[in-house]
Amino acid sequence: MNRRKIKETVLGGLIRSNPTFVLVLGTCPTIAMTTSLAQAFAMGLATTFVLIFSNIFVSLLRGLIPDKVRIPCYIVIISTFVIIVQMVMRRYLPELYSTMQAFIALIVVNCIILARAESFASCNPTLYSALDGVSMGLGFTGALCLIGIVREFFASGSFAGIAIPGFPAMSGAGASAFGFIAFGCMMALFNFVIQKLEDRKERLRRASLPLQGGAGEVKL
Amino acid sequence: MAKSKNDAVWKSILVLAAIALCSGLLLGFFNVITYVDPLQSAYDRFAEDTGASFSEMADEEGQSYENGSVVYYALSDDGEWRAFLASGSGGYGGAVQVYLYFRGSVLEKIAVGENGETFLGNLESANFYDQFLGKDIAALDELNADLVSGATKSSTAVANAIAAAVRYWNENVAGGETNESA
Repeated sequence: MNRRKIKETVLGGLIRSNPTFVLVLGTCPTIAMTTSLAQAFAMGLATTFVLIFSNIFVSLLRGLIPDKVRIPCYIVIISTFVIIVQMVMRRYLPELYSTMQAFIALIVVNCIILARAESFASCNPTLYSALDGVSMGLGFTGALCLIGIVREFFASGSFAGIAIPGFPAMSGAGASAFGFIAFGCMMALFNFVIQKLEDRKERLRRASLPLQGGAGEVKL
Repeated sequence: MAKSKNDAVWKSILVLAAIALCSGLLLGFFNVITYVDPLQSAYDRFAEDTGASFSEMADEEGQSYENGSVVYYALSDDGEWRAFLASGSGGYGGAVQVYLYFRGSVLEKIAVGENGETFLGNLESANFYDQFLGKDIAALDELNADLVSGATKSSTAVANAIAAAVRYWNENVAGGETNESA
């Protein structure tokens, strides 16, 4: 295993190509499931589970699946794991399941999962694909939780279901329109911070270069 | 040339069929280990939501009406709670199951069960349930419920489920009680 590639895969999913804030994939569950932190977290974990296993199996079978029927094959693999998540949630978390049922089924067509199967798992070794699933899934979960915290705070004046004294619920903040506004603001903030960090890293890198390198650039 | 094309087609079919077969077997296995007996899960849910104990269903067969049905009806062991698992049709994603709990004849709690709705959260935030909660069964106006805009079909289905429970009550539970007292 190549250490640099591992680092790239992990950082890519979590930050640099974060599925929600940078690639802007899977917007439907992002808007629909972030009205509370608990729902956002559960949705993120369910997606992560499906993502890891679909990546592993797509990667394992990548030599075997003919190019022309690859999409049906991916969909069969993905939906198998979605149904497993559904069965397990129905058995062990019936209350949460009844509020999320329709959206859990929709993970099948979540574009993050199909995009990772198509663009990463189908052309990378299994171990990297599993790692990519973990990091992309956690990146998605983290983004969902961040938006969930903000939206829950405004919509019901609480954090993870515990009411914060002094902050009344804002009516209308639970609506999808506010969801889009919150999502947009969080995305801007995320990209701003990432950009600043990258700039700083770039400046540090330049500062450490030998002097003539910088001078040559100015002349050009 | 034609032969290799045929081979490719057969390979595609075989691979797809093999993947489908494997996933079918996997799902069958998971179905066995996560199987939930609907009756048992209704008992568990009744007990969890009311805090009372239920040892037998008063009606395991239920009753179907035009717009909904009563799946299970049970009286708690101490006689305080009447629990219904009702189902209402007309939802966006099919029927909506609703758990209804009456203390005496007052509707104390409504909890949504299995459903395929995407806008059920709106019912809570629009205070849809408040028009039913805390009311005596005779005072419930479930047939003229105030529906939630943006979730009309979902709220219709929930109102239908409540209507089914009320009708069941009027036909079976209330009749039985008057007979006893008479």
